[in-house]
Amino acid sequence: MTTKQLPKDPLNLIITGVGGQGNVMISLIIGNALVREGYFVTVGETYGASQRGGPVMSHLRISKETQYSPFIPDGCADIILGMEPVETLRMLGRYGNPNVITIINPRPIYSIDVTGGQAEYPDLDKLIETVKELSAKTWVIKATEEAQKMGSPMFANAILVGAVIGSGVLPLDKKSVEPVLRETFPKEIEANLAAFNKGIELAKH
Amino acid sequence: MANIEIDAPGTRQLFIGNEAIARGALEAGIGFAAAYPGTPSSEIIGSLAQIAKEMGIYAEWSVNEKVAMEAATGASFAGIRALAAMKQNGVNVVSDFLANLVMSGIGKGGLVLVSCDDPSAISSSNEQDTRPIAKWLDIPLVEPGDFQEAKDMTKWLFDLSEEISTLCMLRSVTRIAHARGNVKLGELPKKEQRAYFEQIHDLRNLLPTSFMPIPSPLRHFFLHMKMDRTREKFEASPFNRYLGPDKADLLIVTCGSCWLYSQDAIKALKLEDKVGILKLGTLWPLPEKFVESHLRKSQKVLFVEEIDPFLERSVMEFVASLPSISPHPTFYGKRSGHINAYGELNPDLVIKAISNILGLTYQPRDAEYSGKAETVAKSSVPERSMTFCAGCPHRATFWAIKNALKLDGRDGVVTGDIGCYSMALGPAGFFQVRTMHCMGGGTGVANGMGKLGQFGFNQPVLAVVGDSTFYHATIPALINGIYNQSDFILVILDNSATAMTGFQPHPGTGMTAMGEPTKVVSMEALCRSLGARVEVCDPFDLKNTTVTLLDMMAEGGGAKVAIVRRQCELVRGKKEKPPYKVRIDTEKCIGEACGCDRLCTRVFLCPGLIWDKKAGKSKIDEVICTGCGVCTDICPQGAIIKEAA
Amino acid sequence: MAVEAKGCKELFNEVIEAGLCALCGACTGSCPYLVYYKGRIALLDNCTLSDGQCYKYCPRTYIDMDRISQQVFGMPYSEDEMGTTTEVFMARTTDTRIRKVAQYGGVVTTLLSLALTEGLIDNIVLAKTSDDKTANPVLAQSEKEMLQCAGSNYMACPVLMTYNQIPKDDGSKLGIVGIPCQVLAVAKMKQAPPVNRVSIGNVKLVIGLFCTWALSPNKFHRFLKEKLDLSKVKKFDIPPPPANRFDVYTTSDEISLPLDEIRQFTMPTCAYCLDMTSEFADISVGSVEGIEGWNTVIVRTNVGAKLVKTAKAKKKLEVDKLPSENLAHLKEAALLKRKRALKELAKRSGDEKNLLYVGLSPNLAKKLLA
Repeated sequence: MTTKQLPKDPLNLIITGVGGQGNVMISLIIGNALVREGYFVTVGETYGASQRGGPVMSHLRISKETQYSPFIPDGCADIILGMEPVETLRMLGRYGNPNVITIINPRPIYSIDVTGGQAEYPDLDKLIETVKELSAKTWVIKATEEAQKMGSPMFANAILVGAVIGSGVLPLDKKSVEPVLRETFPKEIEANLAAFNKGIELAKH
Repeated sequence: MANIEIDAPGTRQLFIGNEAIARGALEAGIGFAAAYPGTPSSEIIGSLAQIAKEMGIYAEWSVNEKVAMEAATGASFAGIRALAAMKQNGVNVVSDFLANLVMSGIGKGGLVLVSCDDPSAISSSNEQDTRPIAKWLDIPLVEPGDFQEAKDMTKWLFDLSEEISTLCMLRSVTRIAHARGNVKLGELPKKEQRAYFEQIHDLRNLLPTSFMPIPSPLRHFFLHMKMDRTREKFEASPFNRYLGPDKADLLIVTCGSCWLYSQDAIKALKLEDKVGILKLGTLWPLPEKFVESHLRKSQKVLFVEEIDPFLERSVMEFVASLPSISPHPTFYGKRSGHINAYGELNPDLVIKAISNILGLTYQPRDAEYSGKAETVAKSSVPERSMTFCAGCPHRATFWAIKNALKLDGRDGVVTGDIGCYSMALGPAGFFQVRTMHCMGGGTGVANGMGKLGQFGFNQPVLAVVGDSTFYHATIPALINGIYNQSDFILVILDNSATAMTGFQPHPGTGMTAMGEPTKVVSMEALCRSLGARVEVCDPFDLKNTTVTLLDMMAEGGGAKVAIVRRQCELVRGKKEKPPYKVRIDTEKCIGEACGCDRLCTRVFLCPGLIWDKKAGKSKIDEVICTGCGVCTDICPQGAIIKEAA
Repeated sequence: MAVEAKGCKELFNEVIEAGLCALCGACTGSCPYLVYYKGRIALLDNCTLSDGQCYKYCPRTYIDMDRISQQVFGMPYSEDEMGTTTEVFMARTTDTRIRKVAQYGGVVTTLLSLALTEGLIDNIVLAKTSDDKTANPVLAQSEKEMLQCAGSNYMACPVLMTYNQIPKDDGSKLGIVGIPCQVLAVAKMKQAPPVNRVSIGNVKLVIGLFCTWALSPNKFHRFLKEKLDLSKVKKFDIPPPPANRFDVYTTSDEISLPLDEIRQFTMPTCAYCLDMTSEFADISVGSVEGIEGWNTVIVRTNVGAKLVKTAKAKKKLEVDKLPSENLAHLKEAALLKRKRALKELAKRSGDEKNLLYVGLSPNLAKKLLA
């Protein structure tokens, strides 16, 4: 197996969102595709209680050489895939750096603290601007909106996987991800492949 | 879940630690696996059960950890390799059995206990280190430092268990159990297994075949011999190794996931030539000679481990027995305060400890960026409290409980238990749960409160338990309440799944771990047979549930059971479409005005409902709403409309 | 003194927890937080509003008597013992159906029946004794339903909860039958119309009942349940003084309980009530001392006068002059209640100038306290 050189070793990817959005599923798809390409991959996940509506994150550490710990050290993320806007900012605050690349789904999910009035959700446009300011490069991918157009918000996951591939930030191409997608979504594969392709296309614009 | 059964030796797979452990057990030729679900351990039996039929093995969800361990021991006695898995709390439940099992020894089949600890109690009621239990009970203990080791150690542990004829324990932690990493597969055994309990029936024989802890002093003596033999094996184990220079500025002694954190820390600080890591895989009995041979590599020794100072104290104990080391090394760790004595660790905390000891500064990112990013995140990222999922029956149940207690007006008390519904101690369940300890514990506590009438106590007592918790450890407490006539109501929140840990089946579901249909152990029939008044309600019928609870509280006199039954929304949602389309009639919604004051979005707090500040109206988040329709019944203005989907 | 805007927290602290709640029902029915249950108002959750209608309409939060009176009668609060009156007489029904179920003279039932027939009202908010002999508020939507509500059980009943529960877009014309605290709450609503509830303008007729005190529903019901087979009870009665009895008529028997045994169950708040004759009603109705089968009737407003006129014209009521001795007695009793209440209020506040919820002109207050 010829594994492509990484721009940095380890390459640190964070997938973040809200419990129930599907960050584990995305990390599995990307992680499996990378292992098949011959990389060492370590994925740290949020499981259990904290999944229930809380902030969740997956840390993916990709290396040609060795198995890294499931925690990306503070300030050391290379790529952040944000499935939810404020969660993206939460991650930038702790793990961001001037070189970080961000892919963000701008659809907010309000916490019960915001709904209940104990906390305030920031202005969305300003929030996206801040994310851009804190990132070397930012892709805004309206994954939820596109997914709803396709019939279900669940397709946002495949769109975002597509966006990661389309953006070219990982040593993966369409061919290496497609088989994993087929295994992950045996039932609704056509719709998910369409969503995946949509994501690739959205990231290319 | 990953395919742990694939017959592809030499290939690399992405496994979570639990899957790696399950694969290791398969490679060891395991025949029997039992567990009670508990985060972070559940996927071990979960993944084995999925492929058990195909692989010709047996796997079960036992009613609790004690029964799981005992059942696995039964298999070992009959010559079958067996494994029991549990979270840290489970080991406490099994400890009485373990204390006797170590004396009796095991059968011909190797026997392994996997304990998954949860540093920081991410999905637990407590953070507890089970390594001291192995030390306390004389159980050989190992801990994997990565995913590959999780598989390899498990496999090896079965051989060791049979060789020494004792139970062996593998401790894992959340960041191994639930993290994913590369695992290179080994061979799967292809031999048939036959179970038979061999016994000598000649009663004149002095020691007929007997798996018993007696005669105790003699068995205890044998156990110490077994531990000495184990130590010898551990001295040569490849799971213990040293990485670093011959003479080091600092020697880190570590194990488990901290091995990964320590390596990350040294790389981040670029100290590969200056700091050495003594990584231990076999923890108890301590491989003393191996430790001694590396201890002199540095004058400074840092113990990096999670929860308890297990290695730190064990090494110190051992060092105390050595002829004096000169010059004596300085020990750093939890005792010195360099490593947290609570909560989980991570690379940053290890970096901090090393920097502190060696007087280094570490700055991972540009200071100006750092200041800006931290400030903006702190000022504009709102809190995100945990809550019940949209459509969760528990929210409805606690709404009914809250209202019933307020209407009753005697300041009723809710004792809590372990499960998703533990979250009712916070806004998710309207702060209703007042106590929470261990499985079944809330009902025991309720038993005591329910007997305080003679001291003027007249607060109604409600003990809430989940369906799985009911079968696990609540039944004896209920029997006690009926026998001793304690005045409380056991409220069983029956969502027909062990939801918190991943929807595993249990005795009330009519399904086994291996997917076979089985008898349903009816909780209402069981409770009625005990002589309790039993009421069954649907939590989505808020009115009836409230009225039923009020009536039971008013009645008083002896333990009663209210079964509040509605399937977990995550389980239902996987099979069916939403029952309703829910919308807000903005004409009717009065928002913050008198007569509502945002009851749905301020108090009920289903995440499917959001507050449109600009419009001053509530709104449905279509992405989150699961169409349960319960909010329709709480809206005082009839502004939430449900229509058949 | 101005009326302070406060919310349910203050209502709870100042009225409910303070033992002053009269269970009129004005705060409950349309509020998801304040809920009536078994003789109590329970607070289910915190409401954050600092200006709640619960506080505003409570008959035990501050009332400017002159302003309220101005609203209902177009004049300041009357110094007369029985409030503003246009006519006082005694009457009884001519309808034999009603006479059978009536507590005394059947005037309330007769007037309601007439108001329904005349189209003055469509529905009536009033209390009903249920089969289990608890008092429950109901919305009677026909004469038949209204007739089932005749008779009293002397227990406090949150009648106004039913008004609050009527859908806000409902246009039906309403009659309300209440005791003085309830009639007072309705007057407060008339002065500052409720929002997000059915229009107070729909209320076309308020009939007030005479009341010296009401019984605490939960405690008294428990007492009765222990004493009697409630399923057999047909009627309760407290005959006018000097009888000093609480009579219970069952299917087979007549049982008398000493009134002193019953008094322990009176609502503590009644000691602070200065209104015996429902002074803010259109028509007030009570018994007549020593004359069985008749009612005392006080007409107070034009609406009341018009209805009484029709009743007389249509011979629905048999009318007679109230003997002057009875009138004197009634006035004396009403004055006594006013005086006693103010004394209790001054005692509670510890200051004769602070009469808590009662906002009277200093002159009248001084006179009554003298």
